[in-house]
Amino acid sequence: MLNTLLKKIIKTGAGRFRYVLAMVGLTVALLLILAAIQLQANYWQLLKGGGAQDSIANFLVINKVVTNQNAGNTNLTNQDIEDLKKQPFIQAVGVVTPSRFKVAASGGSAMPFYTDMFFESVPDQFLDITGGDWKWDDQTQFIPIVIPNQFLDMYNFGFAKSQNLPQLSHELVKSIPIRIDIQTPTGQKSFYAKVAGFSDRISSILVPQAFMEWANKNFATEPPKGASRVIIRTDDPSNPKLIEYLDSHHMTTDMEKTRFSKYRQIVGFVVQVSGFTGLAMFLFALLIFSLFIELTIASCREEIRLLVTLGASPGQLRKFLMKTFYPANIVIAIIVLVILSILQWLLSGLLAHESMTISPVISLYTMVGAVIVLLILWWVHVRTIKRQIAGT
Amino acid sequence: MEITLENIIPIPLKENLEKRPSQVWQSKVHFGPGTKVKIKAPSGTGKTTLVHFLYGLRADYTGTLHWDTKALNKLDADQVARYRQSEISVVFQDLRLFAHLTARENIELNRVLQPKEPYYPDTVIQEMATTLQVDHILDQACGICSYGEQQRVAIIRALVQPFSLLIMDEPFSHLDQNNAQKAAALIDSECDKRGAGLVLTDLEEDSFFNYNTYLSL
Repeated sequence: MLNTLLKKIIKTGAGRFRYVLAMVGLTVALLLILAAIQLQANYWQLLKGGGAQDSIANFLVINKVVTNQNAGNTNLTNQDIEDLKKQPFIQAVGVVTPSRFKVAASGGSAMPFYTDMFFESVPDQFLDITGGDWKWDDQTQFIPIVIPNQFLDMYNFGFAKSQNLPQLSHELVKSIPIRIDIQTPTGQKSFYAKVAGFSDRISSILVPQAFMEWANKNFATEPPKGASRVIIRTDDPSNPKLIEYLDSHHMTTDMEKTRFSKYRQIVGFVVQVSGFTGLAMFLFALLIFSLFIELTIASCREEIRLLVTLGASPGQLRKFLMKTFYPANIVIAIIVLVILSILQWLLSGLLAHESMTISPVISLYTMVGAVIVLLILWWVHVRTIKRQIAGT
Repeated sequence: MEITLENIIPIPLKENLEKRPSQVWQSKVHFGPGTKVKIKAPSGTGKTTLVHFLYGLRADYTGTLHWDTKALNKLDADQVARYRQSEISVVFQDLRLFAHLTARENIELNRVLQPKEPYYPDTVIQEMATTLQVDHILDQACGICSYGEQQRVAIIRALVQPFSLLIMDEPFSHLDQNNAQKAAALIDSECDKRGAGLVLTDLEEDSFFNYNTYLSL
């Protein structure tokens, strides 16, 4: 009853149109802010979610860009490597050790080929071949090697087709012993090797680190050369900072694996633009709200004074004014959350066709964002009303 | 509640007051429940000023004014509001009604202003209006009522709330003798019902109430 009377006494009609405009503005602002949060949340989910990421994506081989100026001198210095280790987006750095002896491989009758080749090794932690196969000591009969998948593809779909040779499966390749001839200072030494696995990660022929160290020690014909390539593990190969770092240090890596970086920059840009626009609009909406409250109270100054004279407490009036002005904000927040929920649901359906999985409901961050915005609005309302009532 | 005035001098009247004696200004006066006080004074001697001081609307005086044990200027706005809701009621000389609200709404507002259960049910508005013969204008905007009608609405408004002290500033100035008698009877019975005291200021002598104290300004 009291509120009905207060509503008749404190007319909120003044500047109604401006108030509605401010409400629309707040709706758009809130939509932009929360959409930015939701977009970011979706992107994180795509990035960190199980389906989107294979183990390979986390490892990158890095080397200097070969230019006409630095050709022949593309080693990474110790300082370069230390610097890489210090970057927050790089979790581990492993030096790729090259062989310092000449190697030739031949296939025998099952796979008649002969080629000069080279070995490299990386610390075991950077390989996903585990178990007994990837071990070497001087008692081991076969040296396990890892070859790039591309090699086999090139052979199967290029070479074998054109030369009428049989295509080889992974299993078959793994079962064929390969003869390895190493040129040592004291003459040629022969070993047998077996392919232990295929790698998409490193475009090189890998042997276990233990064999490499042993062989380099015993057979090296050249002095140590330093590292020309390193392998890194990163939790996010699409991190634009990583790409930026590599570019600025004239390094390069497998761009395929970092292609996500472009998308990420675009998403980041959209999120920023949307977020900042939303924030700016939100600030204007706040300003208009407080002005509207001031206007309303100022236009009812006489009435409010008489109410206080009759015994209305400032607390009562503040409560009434809060009840008058604030609920609209809650309604707007709910409307915006509903709109975003619908959009999110549609988006998740759309992306499901592209086999990208995002949650069909809006993220917790978005809801927390809405609550924070409501708290800010609440604070601004309380403050404005308190100041204005005290001023009458 | 009790109101105690000690050495109160209104700043605007300071020079005038030094020339003539007064039983209120510059002395110790006490208003409280159960006592009926008549303050008679000619125009321009500060009747309305006194009412506004007592009710806490103005504070341009020297001396101290206590509501119960606390100096009025030490009370915060919410404490003052609590007193006005349940301890002190007032009929202003200039009535102070909301012109665009109906008579009933003006009265109702004061009935429901205190957060507790209202002192009276809303049927009392009708009864009192009937007694004072203003029931026909209850649903009319106050702004278009005559002064006499407005004055009676203001009196009813003051009576629907709980109080222990009722302050009235020339409450019958626009009423004829007959209507004034009826209003006074209603006020008297409402004060007695609450054991409340009243303070009435006027230009003339009157016999509407059994005053315990007569004071001149």
